[in-house]
Amino acid sequence: MRGAVAIFRRDFKKFLGNPVIIVMTLFMPIMYLIIFGNAMGGTITHIPIGVAQEEPFEDATPLFLSAVEGLGRYHTAGNPRIFDVTVFSGEATAKRAFEEGKVMAVAIFPSRVSNDHAVRLYLDSSEYMIPGLIQAGVSGVMAQSGAQNPLQVSKIYGEIDYIQFFGVGVIVMAIFMTTMMGGGIGLIRDRENGIIEGYLVTPVKRSSIILGIIASGTVKAFMAGFIIFLVDIVVAGVTIRSMETFLMVLVVLFIVSIGITSLVVSFSSRFSAQQEYASVVAFLNLVLFMTSGAFYPVLGMPDWLRWIATINPEYYAIHALRSLILRGQANLIGMDLLAIFIFSGIAIALGITTYRRTLE
Amino acid sequence: MAEMKSDRTPAQEKIIRIEHLSKVFRDGSRTVKAVDDVSFEVRKGEIFGLLGPNGAGKSTIIRILTTLLLPTSGRAFVGPYDITRQPEEIRRVIGVCPQNSTLDLELTAYDNLDFYGNLLDLDPRTLDARIRELLEMADLSDRAHAPVQTLSGGMRRKLEIVRAFIHKPLILFLDEPTIGLDPESRREVWRQVTALNREKTTIILTTHYMDEAEKLCDRIAFVDKGRLLRLDTTENLKHSLPAGDVIEIGIERVDEETLAALRAESRLTSVEVREHKLVISAENGSRVLPSIVEIFERHALPMTSIAIRSPSIEDVFIYLTGRRLDGGPGMKREGLP
Repeated sequence: MRGAVAIFRRDFKKFLGNPVIIVMTLFMPIMYLIIFGNAMGGTITHIPIGVAQEEPFEDATPLFLSAVEGLGRYHTAGNPRIFDVTVFSGEATAKRAFEEGKVMAVAIFPSRVSNDHAVRLYLDSSEYMIPGLIQAGVSGVMAQSGAQNPLQVSKIYGEIDYIQFFGVGVIVMAIFMTTMMGGGIGLIRDRENGIIEGYLVTPVKRSSIILGIIASGTVKAFMAGFIIFLVDIVVAGVTIRSMETFLMVLVVLFIVSIGITSLVVSFSSRFSAQQEYASVVAFLNLVLFMTSGAFYPVLGMPDWLRWIATINPEYYAIHALRSLILRGQANLIGMDLLAIFIFSGIAIALGITTYRRTLE
Repeated sequence: MAEMKSDRTPAQEKIIRIEHLSKVFRDGSRTVKAVDDVSFEVRKGEIFGLLGPNGAGKSTIIRILTTLLLPTSGRAFVGPYDITRQPEEIRRVIGVCPQNSTLDLELTAYDNLDFYGNLLDLDPRTLDARIRELLEMADLSDRAHAPVQTLSGGMRRKLEIVRAFIHKPLILFLDEPTIGLDPESRREVWRQVTALNREKTTIILTTHYMDEAEKLCDRIAFVDKGRLLRLDTTENLKHSLPAGDVIEIGIERVDEETLAALRAESRLTSVEVREHKLVISAENGSRVLPSIVEIFERHALPMTSIAIRSPSIEDVFIYLTGRRLDGGPGMKREGLP
């Protein structure tokens, strides 16, 4: 019995003696509650959709007017409106905005007042839940206005399952997770064990050390992402439509890999203890992954999480990969590419400067 | 083991020169003078020992000489190169075996050597042959492809020492090369160090083991609290004690009266109490022994053992500092900690 008490006291003394760990052990579940709880299952609002009336445009039909009005007001109790409706002057302009990714659906209304002309709804089916909400919204508004017109729905990227939607997010998660957990802890362990110091008494250049570390980390991260990509193809059944998109996927994986590796190199040079690093990184991983839109559309998150998403490189990386893999649209990723380029550029600069300082 | 020591007269050419070197560490508001105005020279081809207790500043001196730390003041030259201005050149001519192992435990012995061969930019055509030669030297040829974590402590040390030697450096720094090793492994490491020294490598080693310094080093620098206490050849140091012999008497207890009686004996130079023994210095040990025994008998104190020996480097150190090298209280001398 005395032994048990001794062991209990020893463990507890160590626990109390390490405030960082205490805070992190309590902090993590609370953060899970707050971030996970808010990121998942929120009401999706402000979905950008476009409406237009068929040519020849003579006059807005009553159906069109009531639909625009109805969609604009459409909401569930106690929530802001679900759709941000943009009215386009014609079908062509509406479809262009749709193709450019500015709206997630367009509804084209017939130009004649009749019950047999169909309302055509084009949906971006690569998002989770959003296509269903839009379809429900449009048919609900039409029913309210008493229109009998058939609704003709085109899912322009075909049927996309949740596993495909999610699977693309997991590619990016794999890159972030393997680098932050495996790569960073390995670097700290090397430093703790004096292996890095061993390099310093050899004539090898400081820049070579950093280059070697970042290069190996990048290749490891890239391989992790690429393997999950292959798994997605085999298990989730995603398809690659062209060589061009395939190569673009590799480019995105590479830029993200080098960025996150550099960031981790920078991070690991600031932490002396593995445990502290692991706690901080686990938290960072949670925030980045939850706000990346990998699980659930960012549109369904509260504003503060959406703000995090706008500065989250994972969000842009996932958006880019979805555009390439699920939509097959390389022209949609300009903004995402710019964002991850900026992220990686800053991360590389940060990684080199901070790591160099630890080598001095 | 005296035959292990290099018996050739070291050339007088200087390979390391240290002038008024100081290193101050700041830890918050506290400042620690790890190295305090140390000057000495190391001769080409010798085995030079930096001897001192833990925390004496030995490792700091090594870290400065191996370009890992900059001195706070003073200058140092390794070969013709200034440590503050030409660190790159110095790194090409030195081999370093740090106190804490920097071997990659998951890699094999061969791969560890290969890795350093590449870091040191060795000719890739001869690298394989060189690695095999080194493995042979360290008696590890049959374990070449075993992960380092499966090797014993002694094997790892030997591997690390040959790794530091892979580019045939002019100077080899060994920081506590046998710390934590069993006696057999220590002897193995010593054999290896002497073998490397025979290849005309200057070796600088730090240690807090007296026997090690005594067996290996041509010259020894005593360092304590950041200062250089004494630098001389190992032989000269041993002869520097005022008394000729050391008599150690095993005891279970001692009383003040006996001590007083011993100290009253004029032929004994000093009488010190250490753990379970009395250490007595005297000009001629065998002559004074009967009278010592008599004093013990008179006070009815049992002796468990008697030994007469020549003074060791440890005795010299204790004489110089009043402390044992492992930091324990050595002599009960007044005015000394």
